[in-house]
Amino acid sequence: MPMNSVLVIGSGFLGGHIIRQLCERENLRIAAFDLFENEKLLHELHGQFTMYTGDLTKQGDIERVFEEFHPRVVIHTASPVHNLARDIYFEVNVDGTANIIKACQKFNVDALVYTSSAGVVFNGADLINVDESQPIPEVHMDAYNESKALAEKQVLEASSESLKTAALRVAGLFGPGDRQLVPGMLSVLKNGQTKFQLGDNLNLFDFTYIENAAYAHLLAMDNLLSSNPTANGQVFFITNGQVIYFWDFARAIWAHAGHVPPYIIKFPRPVGMLLATAAEWVCYFLKKEPGFTRFRVQFSCANRYFNIQKAEDVLKYHPIVDLEEGIRRTLAWMDTEKKH
Amino acid sequence: MSLANRIEEIRCLCQYKLWNDLPSYGEDENVPQNIRRCYQLLDMTSRSFAVVIKELPNGIREAVMIFYLVLRGLDTVEDDMTLPLDKKLPILRDFYKTIEVEGWTFNESGPNEKDRQLLVEFDVVIKEYLNLSEGYRNVISNITKEMGDGMAYYASLAEKNDGFSVETIEDFNKYCHYVAGLVGIGLSRLFAQSKLEDPDLAHSQAISNSLGLFLQKVNIIRDYREDFDDNRHFWPREIWSKYTSSFGDLCLPDNSEKALECLSDMTANALTHATDALVYLSQLKTQEIFNFCAIPQVMAIATLAAVFRNPDVFQTNVKIRKGQAVQIILHSVNLKNVCDLFLRYTRDIHYKNTPKDPNFLKISIECGKIEQVSESLFPRRFREMYEKAYVSKLSEQKKGNGTQKAILNDEQKELYRKDLQKLGISILFVFFIILVCLAVIFYVFNIRIHWSDFKELNLF
Repeated sequence: MPMNSVLVIGSGFLGGHIIRQLCERENLRIAAFDLFENEKLLHELHGQFTMYTGDLTKQGDIERVFEEFHPRVVIHTASPVHNLARDIYFEVNVDGTANIIKACQKFNVDALVYTSSAGVVFNGADLINVDESQPIPEVHMDAYNESKALAEKQVLEASSESLKTAALRVAGLFGPGDRQLVPGMLSVLKNGQTKFQLGDNLNLFDFTYIENAAYAHLLAMDNLLSSNPTANGQVFFITNGQVIYFWDFARAIWAHAGHVPPYIIKFPRPVGMLLATAAEWVCYFLKKEPGFTRFRVQFSCANRYFNIQKAEDVLKYHPIVDLEEGIRRTLAWMDTEKKH
Repeated sequence: MSLANRIEEIRCLCQYKLWNDLPSYGEDENVPQNIRRCYQLLDMTSRSFAVVIKELPNGIREAVMIFYLVLRGLDTVEDDMTLPLDKKLPILRDFYKTIEVEGWTFNESGPNEKDRQLLVEFDVVIKEYLNLSEGYRNVISNITKEMGDGMAYYASLAEKNDGFSVETIEDFNKYCHYVAGLVGIGLSRLFAQSKLEDPDLAHSQAISNSLGLFLQKVNIIRDYREDFDDNRHFWPREIWSKYTSSFGDLCLPDNSEKALECLSDMTANALTHATDALVYLSQLKTQEIFNFCAIPQVMAIATLAAVFRNPDVFQTNVKIRKGQAVQIILHSVNLKNVCDLFLRYTRDIHYKNTPKDPNFLKISIECGKIEQVSESLFPRRFREMYEKAYVSKLSEQKKGNGTQKAILNDEQKELYRKDLQKLGISILFVFFIILVCLAVIFYVFNIRIHWSDFKELNLF
């Protein structure tokens, strides 16, 4: 059996965990491509993978790596973080993904797994137990999700006999390496805002512990390389399979961090929207970035959970780390980070 | 004992069957004498179970009745403290053979054994058992064998240890399987055999077992005090030892918070079966069988909502209000209503959940599962469509039944008026309780909201 070669594009939060799991397998050549060299990961994994650097938006940088490494599989996880300018999203997510697809076709790559987002189907309205038949909205919530949706479309359209592709719509990623979700909740704790609740806490959310998301990518890769690639040209929702009330997730994190709010002040959603609108107007005049926005209110009160039956059926995906253990590991990692 | 515990849960059905004319097979001259006597024995042993069995359709009703009476006979032997173990064990183990022996009766039950008359006349039950079709007899015989073996095992254990206790969660599930899971499995096979339901129901062993476990676990949680006083510890040591060093210490006022945490752990364990109940009910096709299965399951989750984080559990039996029971009986007639009721009680549990409890996330995840399965079985967009269709159908029925209302006799009108009065009083009582609870909560927790709290919102 020939040695498989896997190129992971993006070595950050998700890409890093994928590389860690790939390194546990034998008979595998592994490379990572990122804007900057991830020295920490190289050190942690004792150089078990090759690190390439370059700019995703430059075709030449991509092709140089493909020419040198000759990947059989490409896992594309790279994406800018939230709250950036629109141009950046379209350059990296859309043009960058187009560059990768071209390189895959040019260098005869067998399989491409793309990290999409569950947010591609979100436009502020409830997502209640939706599956992959849910249409992508005409008007997106924001530029990030719009660009991810376009990139996903490119990947699925590139599917063929010679280049097999799949897209994984991950939801609410958290875990060791998390710089957004759990730290955001802990900053609410720091600011003494834990006693406030928007909505009635009956809206359900799906979160995904990062190691489960990484595992799903390996399953997708295995399927695309198998003799019967049923995942080819397919998109999958990936979650922890454990929906939870939105504010319960935050409270569970605060409780693990040793804090329980003494009481809860509840704002109905309309009141929250009014307050957020007022805050946005005041910040507009004060030329200040608002912390309390209508998007946040909408997000905190919406249902956002998914039916992952397709991933279970086709990829044989089942979460390997449950939600509670995921929270415990995340907080343990954050404690470790503080000590350094 | 165990069967009695389950029946206790359903007993309130009798008191509120005000709108239904129950068939009176026990007095019906057209019913053969022997069958009539079986119905009378059923009424004697459990009026509440008798009510639900009598609602079952022809073709399955007698089989379920005989199944019930056979298991009740078995349970009566097991429960009898006057019988020495060396006499009791062979009877339990061989009961599945005994029911094939025409004319067998048992006159050695203790004088105070509640259901001894059933065994004194057990030849009547056996005769009707032998009249059942072979398919039904095979189901009843197989379940009786397994349950007899299980009961013999636990009877030996209780004798040896001078009491009864459960060690691990696995032991707990095994015990509940023998006591209640087998009933669920047996009923599923009887339903399949009747041709009224999908034959595949006979093979749904895991989910049928889960329905039985759900009912039994809820009863075990609710009956903590009663069982403890009888020196029976059904809560697994694997769970309670995390919160206390002695099972009985959960009753002590000093341990009230630890006791509630232990109760949450038990609740989370029981809740794992709730989604199986919904999935099972969604597979049923026959109205009467649906009602027969749905009512106890909804009662169970309502009881679970009542016991969750309720300190009274450690001092007395906690039961759902009679008004709730009536509502459950009247509403558990279709999948939509059952999903709505499950969600209502699930959300009661969710709202009582607190992050200071170490089982907070576990409970929240189990509630989330019920929400998601409920949504899968009966999506809320269907619910809205159903509601509209139901309302228009109801208005049509009212038009059609307008003339029939005049036909109601005075006695029925009087009954109807009394029922409405009782309902009104119940509603007022509930409102009163809610107001009192709110007042107490505000007083006890000294809840106040200061303007400084709003400053912390960091609106600007």
